[in-house]
Amino acid sequence: MFDPSDVVDHVRNGMLPAHIYNDSEIFAAERDAIFSRSWVFLAHESEIPQVGDYVVRRVMENSFIVSRAGDGAVHAMFNMCLHRGMQVCRAEQGNASHFRCPYHGWSYRNDGRIVGLPFHREAYGGETGFSKRGQRLLPAPAMDTVNGMIFVSLDPEAPPLREFLGDFAFYLDYYTRQSPSGVEVLGPQRWRVKANWKIGAENFAGDMYHTPQTHASVVEIGLFREPKAEKRKDGATYWATSGGGTTYKLPPGTLEERLRYVGYPDEMVERMKGAWSAEQLDLIGRDGFMVSAASVFPNLSLVHNWPKVADSDDVLPFVSLRQWQPISENETEVLSWFLVDKEAPEEFKALSYKAYLMCFGSSGMFEQDDVENWVSLTATAAGTMARRLLLNGRMGMLPDGSTIAPALGGDEWAGPGESRIGYGEYNQRHLMNRWADLIEAGPARTAAVTVGTPGEDAAR
Amino acid sequence: MPILKADAAACQGYASCVIAADDYFDIDDDGLVVLLSTEVPEADRERVDRAARACPAAALRLEGA
Repeated sequence: MFDPSDVVDHVRNGMLPAHIYNDSEIFAAERDAIFSRSWVFLAHESEIPQVGDYVVRRVMENSFIVSRAGDGAVHAMFNMCLHRGMQVCRAEQGNASHFRCPYHGWSYRNDGRIVGLPFHREAYGGETGFSKRGQRLLPAPAMDTVNGMIFVSLDPEAPPLREFLGDFAFYLDYYTRQSPSGVEVLGPQRWRVKANWKIGAENFAGDMYHTPQTHASVVEIGLFREPKAEKRKDGATYWATSGGGTTYKLPPGTLEERLRYVGYPDEMVERMKGAWSAEQLDLIGRDGFMVSAASVFPNLSLVHNWPKVADSDDVLPFVSLRQWQPISENETEVLSWFLVDKEAPEEFKALSYKAYLMCFGSSGMFEQDDVENWVSLTATAAGTMARRLLLNGRMGMLPDGSTIAPALGGDEWAGPGESRIGYGEYNQRHLMNRWADLIEAGPARTAAVTVGTPGEDAAR
Repeated sequence: MPILKADAAACQGYASCVIAADDYFDIDDDGLVVLLSTEVPEADRERVDRAARACPAAALRLEGA
C-alpha cells in the first residue's frame, strides 16, 4: 500500500526520492490526486475558430471533445457515449454539427445534447425507460478560459481558473497577449518520449542551471548572437501563485530598445505598450528582464526565446506552449504549439515559426538536448538503487531554510510573486511542494453520475 | 420543386438525417423525425436527397428528385 508520507516529507525538505520519476504507485497517486483536481490546459480558442470546429484532447486517459457549438460557445465534453461507453468522436480534429457513436448509433449535437437514440420506443419504452430529454454528453466538471486558453478541471469544486492562476496571469500576458487581439496558435506537434512528465515541467519552471551544459553545442554553432547560455545566471527566476519561470537580463536601454533587442518590430512594440500594464512594461523597460521558459502547475509550460534565424546577426523571438501529457510513469506525450500575436506582420509570423521549429518541437535542437537527459534519468530511476537515493534539489537554500539570493524588492522587479537573481531551484521546489500537498491530500472524492433514470433510489 | 416526405411510423430515431442536414430535419421529444421544410429548392436537392437516403429505417423520401 502506497504511503504518501514516505515521499512528501522529503520533497518538502527539497530532497527528491529518485524513484518518484519512475514509479507506478506514484503515477497512480498522481492520476487520482493531482490530475483529478488541477486545472489542465486543453486547447486554444484559435484552434476552433468556426462553428462546428472541434479538437479532441485528454486529461490523463479522459478524452474530451472541445467544440464550438452553433451559438459560438465553446463546450468541453467527456468523449464517452452515455450508453455503452464508446468514444463518440474518434478523429483528432475536424468540423461537425453532430457526433455519432459507432457502436449503436446514438448521436449528439456538437454542444453535447443527445439527438438520436435508435428504437427509443421499442427498446426502452420511450421516456419512461430512458429519459432522453435534457441528456447530454458529460460536460467537463469545470471549464474556463484565460487569454483564449481553454482549461478544464475534473474537480467540480475547483476554485475559479483566475484564482488558481493568481499572480501568474501577470506573466502569462507576455506570452499570450502581446496585443489586445491575443494570439493564434499552430499545432500541436505531438510526440512521445520515454521520460516522466514531471521532469519537463520542473525544467521549464526554473532550470537556468542546465543551459550552459546541456545546450552548450547550440551556443557553439552560433544559434545565438552572444554566449547567451553563460549569461543565464544574470537572469532572475520568479514564482507567482501557481506558476513560475526564468528570465534573461537585457542590456541597458529603454523599453523600446530592449524589445527591439530581442527582435520585435516597432509596430509590435507599440501594440505591447497598449496591451500591457505599467508594471508589465516596467519589468522590461525599467528592470531589464525578459521572460524565457515557464511552467504552470501541474503540466503546462511556455517558452519565449530569440535565436538567430539567418546568417545575419538579427534575432527573432518566438513563443511556444506545451503540455506534458502523462502516459505512464516512464512515458510522456508532448503537445507543442507555436503561438504568435494575431496582429503581427505576416513576415514576422513566418520567421518566428521558423525560429520555433529550429529550437523546439520534435525537430528542435533544444528539445533533443533536453530529452536525451530526461529519458536516461527516467530509465535509471526505475531501479532498486534509485529507491535509496534522495536527490538534492536544494539549490539556493541553506540548511536553516534561508535562501542564498535575497528576494528582489519592488524597485528591482515590477512583477508580483517572489523573484531572485541567479541559479537556484526555488521554482522546482514550489512546483514539487504543490505536488506534495496534493499527493498527501489523496484522491479527490466525486459523486457518480446516473444517466437516463430518475436516480439510484428509484431504480431500487 | 422536389417534395420531402417522412413516414413517422417507420422512423426509429437514428437522427442520421439530422446529422446530414439539420436545416431540413429535426427529432422531436418523442424521438421522431420532424421536417422543418418540405419544399426543397434545386440548390439543396442533392444534399437533402443524400440525407433522406441516409435513413437506416427507410422513413424518408425526396419525391421528384
